[in-house]
Amino acid sequence: MSAQDSLYRRLLAWLLLPLLGLGALMLIQAYLGARDTADRAFDRLLEASSLAIAEQVKWQDEQLWLDLSPAALEMLATDAEERVFYALYNARGEFITGNANLPGLAMANGDEQALHYGNVTWNDQHLRLGIRETRLEGWSQRERFEVRVAHTREGRESLTLALFQGSLVRIAIMALLAACILVLTIRLALSPLTRLRRAIRERDPRTLAPLALNLPRELAELRETLNDLLARMRRVRANQERFIGDASHQLRTPLAGLSARAELALRQDDPALWREALQAMQATSASTARLAVQLLSMTRLNNPEASPELTPQDLNQVARTATLGALGACHREGIDLGVETSEEAILVPGVGWQLEECLANLIDNARRYGASQITVRVLANPPTLEVEDNGPGIPADLRLMVLRPFFRGQDSGEGSGLGLAIVDSIARAHHARLTLHEARQGSGLRVAIRFMGDRS
Amino acid sequence: MTLRFLCALGIALGLGFAMTRVSGAADMLHYPTQSAIAESSQLDIVGALDTPLIAPVLEDFHRLNPDISLNYHNLTTLEVYRTFMSGSDGSRADVVMSSAMPWQYQLANNGYAQPLGLDNAEQWPTWARWRQELFGITFEPVVIVYHKDLAERYGAIGSHAELVTLLEREREALTGRVVTYDPARSGAGYTYAVEEARLSPRYWELVAALGGVEADLVGTTQEMLDGLAVGRYLIGYNLLGSYAQGFVAKHPELEIVIPSDYALVMQRLAFLPRSADNPEAARRFFDYLLSEHGQRIISEQTPLGAVHPALKGPGSASALRERLGEALRPIRLGPGLLATLDKLKREALLARWHREFRRPATATNPPTPEETAP
Repeated sequence: MSAQDSLYRRLLAWLLLPLLGLGALMLIQAYLGARDTADRAFDRLLEASSLAIAEQVKWQDEQLWLDLSPAALEMLATDAEERVFYALYNARGEFITGNANLPGLAMANGDEQALHYGNVTWNDQHLRLGIRETRLEGWSQRERFEVRVAHTREGRESLTLALFQGSLVRIAIMALLAACILVLTIRLALSPLTRLRRAIRERDPRTLAPLALNLPRELAELRETLNDLLARMRRVRANQERFIGDASHQLRTPLAGLSARAELALRQDDPALWREALQAMQATSASTARLAVQLLSMTRLNNPEASPELTPQDLNQVARTATLGALGACHREGIDLGVETSEEAILVPGVGWQLEECLANLIDNARRYGASQITVRVLANPPTLEVEDNGPGIPADLRLMVLRPFFRGQDSGEGSGLGLAIVDSIARAHHARLTLHEARQGSGLRVAIRFMGDRS
Repeated sequence: MTLRFLCALGIALGLGFAMTRVSGAADMLHYPTQSAIAESSQLDIVGALDTPLIAPVLEDFHRLNPDISLNYHNLTTLEVYRTFMSGSDGSRADVVMSSAMPWQYQLANNGYAQPLGLDNAEQWPTWARWRQELFGITFEPVVIVYHKDLAERYGAIGSHAELVTLLEREREALTGRVVTYDPARSGAGYTYAVEEARLSPRYWELVAALGGVEADLVGTTQEMLDGLAVGRYLIGYNLLGSYAQGFVAKHPELEIVIPSDYALVMQRLAFLPRSADNPEAARRFFDYLLSEHGQRIISEQTPLGAVHPALKGPGSASALRERLGEALRPIRLGPGLLATLDKLKREALLARWHREFRRPATATNPPTPEETAP
């Protein structure tokens, strides 16, 4: 069994892959969250420091004045010994003092006391910049100014890493648990399949009894389908067994007659009687041979694995050939055999000799059961082959029964009881329907083979 | 743009910073590679540390690493900074050492130093380093030096408090006989003023007292020492201990004292520039400088104090700490140093300093309303 065909692996793959994707998303989210948390924690330092600086800003000698407190810078350093930068800018954006020309940030106007944060690259260093925009609170001077403070990101990065590692462990444990549960669940869910397989494997190959197994709904459907199949197989086998029984019975009777006739003839000394016996035996053996041939073709037709290729056949041609074949026998018995063909060719996919056999059987049947007039007819729409006679006909309640092998309408006559059964089999093989009707006029029988498969 | 900006800032600020440099000292030391050694490398050290002080260390390093051709350039602290920023010195420095702590810190803060990645550097005390980039390699207290005559007349001075008391009590007698750094002219003096003002508001009393005796304001430790030696001054306040120690040893009439209430401690800061031509040789030098052996040389053969915590003998930070305990106030190696460099901060502090310094002169007159005005 290849990897693609394993239901277990397919389930596992389709469940684990989204799980992995989900895990990756969670990791990204955890990292962003950790960075955000670290930024927020460390931004407090920028806030405090910029506030401490802003509070020292005064107006003196007609300009902004700052008495920078070392503590305001010390608090920015953190444990990671960050590099620290600060600058004071006036309202016109002019540098007043500081240790670095820190860049400004594009910021929305509006809230005055707000602090703005941003990540900037300055002098090849990645800095977190905080800008406090405020104004002097003097009596007369309300000069606006900006305090910019920045420090490197090492402390943030190490805090981010520490937080992220914590989430990483949690997510890894959760993923592991989820994967374990998934594997167990799939195993559990697929276990009825194993039971079904085991039940089928352990069966006696000869039994066709239905499976009695408690299964979940989805598999119960499968079990029911299997049981349906088994039931059909049982019916088929019963038919086959009956057919074999009937066939052996049918063959035994003429063989026993032959044996009895030969025994009887051997007791006589008169060659004339022998001759008579031999003639009778020849007739019996001929009909027995015909029976065997019919049995053979019946078996062949019923074999689903040997379906000959269907080629387009003109039904007119078929009808003519079959009529021609039966003309001799009918003529000897004084039966009027006619054919009514359609004007245009009617093509259906089929096997020529089977269709001819079909018509021959029907003509033969009509002849044997005492018809004096037989008509073979080809109808165009739907394509139909019909054989109508003026014989005694078959009562409506027996019309289905006569299709079964070895069933005969009356227990008289020399028919094998296979004729209509063979016709039925051939009709089925051509996706055609065999129906029995009363003749259009009088008491006779009309047998129709209607080809549906082509058009339906 | 940034570089130029920093340069301009440096020059603007640095004009006020007179440099600590002993006049007459050789400006350069050279230790050539021994001819027998085929593979050699170059090492250029730029420092603001007089050659007699650094020579024992360099000699020892050269003895241990004869394959390195060593050049030492002695510059003023401002020259160190300017040379570094301009980068036009021809040969770019592999090691930069300077006692101008704020400047050194500024350079490292702006990313001009590279991490060392040495075991010795990892183990260096955290209070004496910043990241793995900037290292305090010496431990030099700021001291008071006075003439023994003074002690005989008025008693010894052991602390800032005693100094203030003495200055206020003997104002007449000491007028013109006290000397200290001019914070407006000397970078070191300005740095000390910032730190002392941070430590205690009583510093301004001291400034006022110094103003009261009309103390002379000079630019270098050496000027103060020379003046003390010739007897022009009785008290020198805020002298760099490493220079004073050797000088006082040769002048028995002088007494050196590390104040017992608080004593600032200055550290020479060294870093390895990113632009170094010979970073490997420089790392070997740092490995030596930060090792116990190198620090022992510093503590035993130079007046510079050693930082290494394993050293306990005289001339080590541990010994000083044991003697003075909490009173030692090493100048904190942190972003606070950047505030020292702030232009407005400097103007503000100097304005205050001069106001306090002149207060006693105005106070002799009846108090005037202007006194409270800026």
